[in-house]
Amino acid sequence: MTDSGMQLAAVGFGTDVWWLILLKAVLIFAFCVVMTLFAIWWERKVVAWMQMRIGPKYTGPQGLLQSLADGVKLALKEDITVKGADKAVYIIAPIVAMVPAFMAFAVIPFGPEVSIFGHRTHLQLTDLPVAVLYILAVASVGIYGIVLAGWSSGSTYPLLGGLRSSAQMISYEIAMGLSFAAVFLYSGSMSTSEIVAAQQDTWYAVLLPVSFIIYVVAMIGETNRAPFDLPEAEGELVGGFHTEYSSLKFALFFLAEYVNMVVVSSLATTLFLGGYLAPWPITAVWEGANSGWWPFLWYFLKVQAFIFVFIWLRGTLPRFRYDQFMKIGWKVLIPLSLVWLMLVATVRALKNEGYEQSRIVLWVAGGVVALLLLSILWDAVTPNRDEEADAKAAGPEPFDPMAGGFPVPPMPGQQLPPVPRRNVRKPEPVGAPAAAELPADRTEGEA
Amino acid sequence: MTARTVGVGIGADQLDTTDMVLNIGPQHPSTHGVLRLRLVLDGERIVSAEPIVGYMHRGAEKLFEVRDYRQIVMLANRHDWLSAFANELGVVLAVERMLGMEVPQRAVWARTLLAELNRVLNHLMFLGSYPLELGAITPIFHAFREREEIQAVMEEISGGRMHFMFNRVGGLKEDLPAGWIGRVRHAVATVRTRLSGLDDLVSGNEIFRARTRGVGVLTPALVAAYGVSGPIARASGVDFDLRRDEPYLAYGELADVLRVVTREEGDCLARFECLLEQVHVSLDLADACCDRLDELPQGPVNLRLPKVLKAPEGHTYAWTENPLGLNGYYLVSRGEKTPWRLKLRSASYNNVQVLTELLPGCLIADMVAILGSLFFVVGDIDK
Amino acid sequence: MDLTPAPVERTPVDLPPPRLGVLSRLAPDPVRLVLNWGRRYSLWVFNFGLACCAIEFIASSMAKHDFIRLGVIPFAPGPRQADLMVVSGTVSDKMAPAIKRLYEQMPEPKYVISFGSCANCGGPYWDSYCVTKGVDQIVPVDVYVPGCPPRPEALLQGILKLQERIAVENPAARYARKLPAAALGRPLVAPPTPPAGDAR
Repeated sequence: MTDSGMQLAAVGFGTDVWWLILLKAVLIFAFCVVMTLFAIWWERKVVAWMQMRIGPKYTGPQGLLQSLADGVKLALKEDITVKGADKAVYIIAPIVAMVPAFMAFAVIPFGPEVSIFGHRTHLQLTDLPVAVLYILAVASVGIYGIVLAGWSSGSTYPLLGGLRSSAQMISYEIAMGLSFAAVFLYSGSMSTSEIVAAQQDTWYAVLLPVSFIIYVVAMIGETNRAPFDLPEAEGELVGGFHTEYSSLKFALFFLAEYVNMVVVSSLATTLFLGGYLAPWPITAVWEGANSGWWPFLWYFLKVQAFIFVFIWLRGTLPRFRYDQFMKIGWKVLIPLSLVWLMLVATVRALKNEGYEQSRIVLWVAGGVVALLLLSILWDAVTPNRDEEADAKAAGPEPFDPMAGGFPVPPMPGQQLPPVPRRNVRKPEPVGAPAAAELPADRTEGEA
Repeated sequence: MTARTVGVGIGADQLDTTDMVLNIGPQHPSTHGVLRLRLVLDGERIVSAEPIVGYMHRGAEKLFEVRDYRQIVMLANRHDWLSAFANELGVVLAVERMLGMEVPQRAVWARTLLAELNRVLNHLMFLGSYPLELGAITPIFHAFREREEIQAVMEEISGGRMHFMFNRVGGLKEDLPAGWIGRVRHAVATVRTRLSGLDDLVSGNEIFRARTRGVGVLTPALVAAYGVSGPIARASGVDFDLRRDEPYLAYGELADVLRVVTREEGDCLARFECLLEQVHVSLDLADACCDRLDELPQGPVNLRLPKVLKAPEGHTYAWTENPLGLNGYYLVSRGEKTPWRLKLRSASYNNVQVLTELLPGCLIADMVAILGSLFFVVGDIDK
Repeated sequence: MDLTPAPVERTPVDLPPPRLGVLSRLAPDPVRLVLNWGRRYSLWVFNFGLACCAIEFIASSMAKHDFIRLGVIPFAPGPRQADLMVVSGTVSDKMAPAIKRLYEQMPEPKYVISFGSCANCGGPYWDSYCVTKGVDQIVPVDVYVPGCPPRPEALLQGILKLQERIAVENPAARYARKLPAAALGRPLVAPPTPPAGDAR
């Protein structure tokens, strides 16, 4: 670890002047809103290009102001409160969904120490020793917004959407938390700025690829985005939890969704892609890439890359079915991350004990191979269930189509005999004298 | 409504759960049209389902009775708006049979060509909209690009993008314009090359396969019991295609080109694959028709009709293999210039009835997959 | 199962008068220009795809014609977020109540495009016993697009016409009138009483 990284982590937070804190808070808020507006436009454009269209075009240059137009319009719309709704909860729900999304930004590091109006300060509102836990905690409050929205609308589709979303977010949060644990093991800290500083040499995405992949899957699940957009599945639940919302309240949900996207992308950047640190080839050729305001650019680009992935997935993939989605969460992601976490912990422990790198790798690889062999053996020993099922399936009952003298349909369990193929008539050259054919047909019809 | 007790003991009566009744439609994104489904749900699982039809009922059969035989064609092509040409065809075949007319050879081949192009148009619509219902928003744009190719050539000949009105009793409206066959070949070739892209985009997708494989399995017994027909029946292994089994138009001579696509599984994936494969077959058929039309000598494409067209007294039943299944027209005439009765047997009406059997036990998400894979047109259900 | 439930005596619900969002009520004239610009280019469509015309509606949202570039977003899943309802296709008497209801569920300011001859006036089904001869009998229509079915270009033209109208509109004046627009329509057709002894 280089000196600058150590310094950076060592400097304490909470020593800024009050106006600087206020300024940073306002700037972060503005950043979120602008990012949302930009992300919506960017999404429309990218999806349009994937679909051979050109996307919005008449609002500003390249339709850049499209999301602004949407915002203005949504603010203008009539605000309907549904009669069957639980009024207080109905109004609070969108706020509950939105506020935590913004709050999570407080601990995201945008850059190292910079100078603002002569004051040296971090490009980060604040940091906590347990910053990542704080984000997890805040993000789970956001779920309440969606659940309450679904419940308070007093309608069936939103109810289903809200329930889906609560189950989904809760189960994906586990996988998400487990993938973080590996990062904590390596960085030795839960403070976001220290985690970034610890990645000065190698990004954790390279060091902990499995955690990274699990997190990326879980973050898409967390934000209800395609292919995991089950709570708002348009084709099934007509919008899901926000079916009954209109005007500004709907806009808040919209905002919350996109801010959440930015939050999880920022978190992924911070924990796995080295945060605001410049990517490798640039640091090799340019010394000053990690100083001044430049790191903010790297941070921004990395977040944009994640948002592009979000949009890319939305443009290409169909939606999962609910149970398949849960299966992935509980039966694949969580066991996988548990095993991975154990591996990581073993490696770390052996390293701390002072073993050599090569011996550690040997031990761990040996363990994995042994496990694999065991599982293959288990597969070979246990009988194949499909074969059993095949053996069980008995022939169908005989079916008498004229039971009782009348034609009857088959009963359950009975099999219809194959439909007899009609005799193909001899192909006659069409248009050739076929005088015999037509009258014959007619008499057939009249018979 | 069923109520089930979930516990015994103190407070058990308060723990009773009732099943939720969910009305899907009449205006719901997944019903592509105005079919209404009344579902009884237990959680997200469907306990019973009932399709409620009639929201699109326009009284076409009654209107046929006050239109003369030339006007009927115009109404007939509107009930199933995705296969307008095939619908016109059924009516004119029935009337021609009543009149004992013999259609010029050139018209027969042109009709076959247009019918197959129409089949491609119809299938492409579903190939695009089905992934859309499963949440993939892009394939429909690719499918519609192909549709526009075919629609362009159809428009060049008939002037209409959807309702071609190119059939007349006794032939076609006009002869094929010079050079048009070449353009058809070009369009067919273009669509054929791009179709593999659509195939890769959709049917190779793991999520798509997971959503459709083994979902909504339709057994041959159910197919027979409900009179399901067309690609849906063939996906269940019921090998029945009027184009081969009772050839009309020029299909008898195309027997070596015409492959009847069947699958055994009967699930949503099989239905989708069937449809995709049928597009390839139809494109081959269109090419074969083009070849034949090139060889045919110039000649009339229709017959001179009397000013007042009256079908002789009697009745006949004409059925065709429409893109969506069997379409039957039962024509009863009392010798007047309008039919006494023209009964429509539309494919979708029978096909959606089977939903009552397919849906119970499925999840709501499966319902979307099944509904989409039944490839119905609401106008064809309600007429 | 009970398919046609017993006819319930329904007293008409007294809907509250439409109230616009805060912004448009308080905005002075120059600001309204901006607001109108926003409404003009952000028309989320709720598509009433009823019949043939729905296919042409879809075709006009596709790559070749692409009305999404005009700011018309066809992905509004429900009526609550929609600004524009495109009624494309034949409105049957059975469907009419659903259309009216969904129209009422849309928040103001809302617009209706009647797309195709059937929605305009009944079209080829002008003498049918079960077709509403024009959707304007049940909801107020802003733009009519003629054709059977109209070409996608015709819909684009209709959308442009509507956008021109919105650009010069004064929302306050639009809602100044006392009579709700829906009051102009005719009453809905009552469903027929099922014959006695019909178990369904």
